[in-house]
Amino acid sequence: MTNTATGIVRALNSGIKHIATKRFTLRYPEEKLKFVGDGYQFDPSTGVGIAGLKGRHMLFHDHCTGCQLCSIACEGVAEAIAMVKVPEEQKQNKKSIMPQIDYGKCVFCGLCVDACPFYALYMTNDYELSSFSKEGLIYTPAQLAVKPYVEQDSEIVITKNGATHG
Amino acid sequence: MTAELPPGLAIQKVDERIMTLNVGPQHPGSGHMRIVVQIDGDYIVACDPDPGYVHRGEEKMAEYRNYITNIPHLERPVIHDSCNVLYPYVLGVEELLGIEVPERAKYVRVICSELNRCIYIMYWLAIYGIFLGHSTMFMWPAGDRELLIDLMEKISGARVTHAHFVPGGVRNDLPPNFEEVCLRQVNYFEKRIKEYAAVFYDNPILISRTQDTGVLSREDAIRLGTTGSVLRASGVNYDLRQKEPYDVYDELDVHSPVMKEGDSYARSKIPWLDMLESCKIIRQALEKMPKSGSVRVKLKPNPKGKGLDSVYKRVESGRGSLGCHIVSDGKVEPYRLKLSVGSFRNLIALPYLLKGEKLGNMPSVYWSLNYWPVEADR
Repeated sequence: MTNTATGIVRALNSGIKHIATKRFTLRYPEEKLKFVGDGYQFDPSTGVGIAGLKGRHMLFHDHCTGCQLCSIACEGVAEAIAMVKVPEEQKQNKKSIMPQIDYGKCVFCGLCVDACPFYALYMTNDYELSSFSKEGLIYTPAQLAVKPYVEQDSEIVITKNGATHG
Repeated sequence: MTAELPPGLAIQKVDERIMTLNVGPQHPGSGHMRIVVQIDGDYIVACDPDPGYVHRGEEKMAEYRNYITNIPHLERPVIHDSCNVLYPYVLGVEELLGIEVPERAKYVRVICSELNRCIYIMYWLAIYGIFLGHSTMFMWPAGDRELLIDLMEKISGARVTHAHFVPGGVRNDLPPNFEEVCLRQVNYFEKRIKEYAAVFYDNPILISRTQDTGVLSREDAIRLGTTGSVLRASGVNYDLRQKEPYDVYDELDVHSPVMKEGDSYARSKIPWLDMLESCKIIRQALEKMPKSGSVRVKLKPNPKGKGLDSVYKRVESGRGSLGCHIVSDGKVEPYRLKLSVGSFRNLIALPYLLKGEKLGNMPSVYWSLNYWPVEADR
């Protein structure tokens, strides 16, 4: 236990040292954090996922069979997935139904991706989903098929003068 | 009318000197909870903690969902410590199903669990700092958490609610090159938290405010059933990672810190020492972890238990022992799920600690109990 005077001087000194250390704050949205990979994916043949950010989904129309397993997986979690009719005709999708996701309800747990046995549903690095209306948060199968454009390059760099986002 | 009213609402005949104060339910601390205190001048005469404002019915919700879809909502009580909250549930379901988890998955779980413990304690420490009016201690932990949140984000893809543990292992393998990044950031994190000693723990102002306030003796700590950092601050060396090792904790060197004082200062210092210990455990786990191999056992869709069965598992969370009792009747949903949480058990000590203290010491004693309102209410 230090005595009072030296204790206060040590505390002040510890704070003053921070003038020389680098700023750790990430200046979002000018800088954006870089994530590993292209988003969370799942390989049904091995039953193990591939690490990545759990962001907005991406749907591959040529793989989706309309089996509703993603919708069933979401039932006990958020009820965010609804199966809707799509105008296009895919030969593997007889019923022409595909998932439509309401991001006002989605909790981004990724259990729907784990449930998909046909490599049709993945998650991407896109997390900026804000909208002015509730309807704007509902993504139709056509919107989900678009690969998002993401520019994320900032990473944590540890230097002698402290950590920073570079 | 002599209807039985809750203690906070009952009309009581009191001395004119005694004033009743409602602290909360809305207050600057995290989570809603009320403390009804009776004060005589500046001294607390009696105190009645009143939790229950953030009750979410997690246990009842679990009865209507299958074993896999229970995962996202069961980690909501403590989103900062989500891996540890899920840990006993996942261990319990594994025992019900009779699954053996791959070795690598066990190590990944230990790493996630220790990272989450540090993330939780940093958040707790930030609020403890602001409770005492020490804004530097709010800014530094809140910023340095980012180092570990970044690691958890790389592992699981989510910053707070990871939903990473599943019965049978973990959702996905570690990303490539993770060991190196993890070691670098955890080493820097350890260096940073050691700097907190000068600005906070050795600071005479903190010491004068917390030392000898709210003293919980060793006997009382055991009698009241406290757990985790509160129990260890009173001189009882009881850590489930040592006493009942789960997963691979028996292969790792765990020396959980113990202090004898039992005052607010000891209770605030134990979590900090815990973090230093966690950094050592993470380094050991990274070293001993098998470099490759499966991380998840493939389960059948809709796993269910074998007939009437029950299992109780507990782990050491950021707030002490966290138990999960699952009763299965052979269906896809659990028949009953009961969580026994450290927060609620530690709250019981509050009325005993605050009696005779000054009102100004209430925040430092209350938050030093490592209490998380949302987890206590479940």
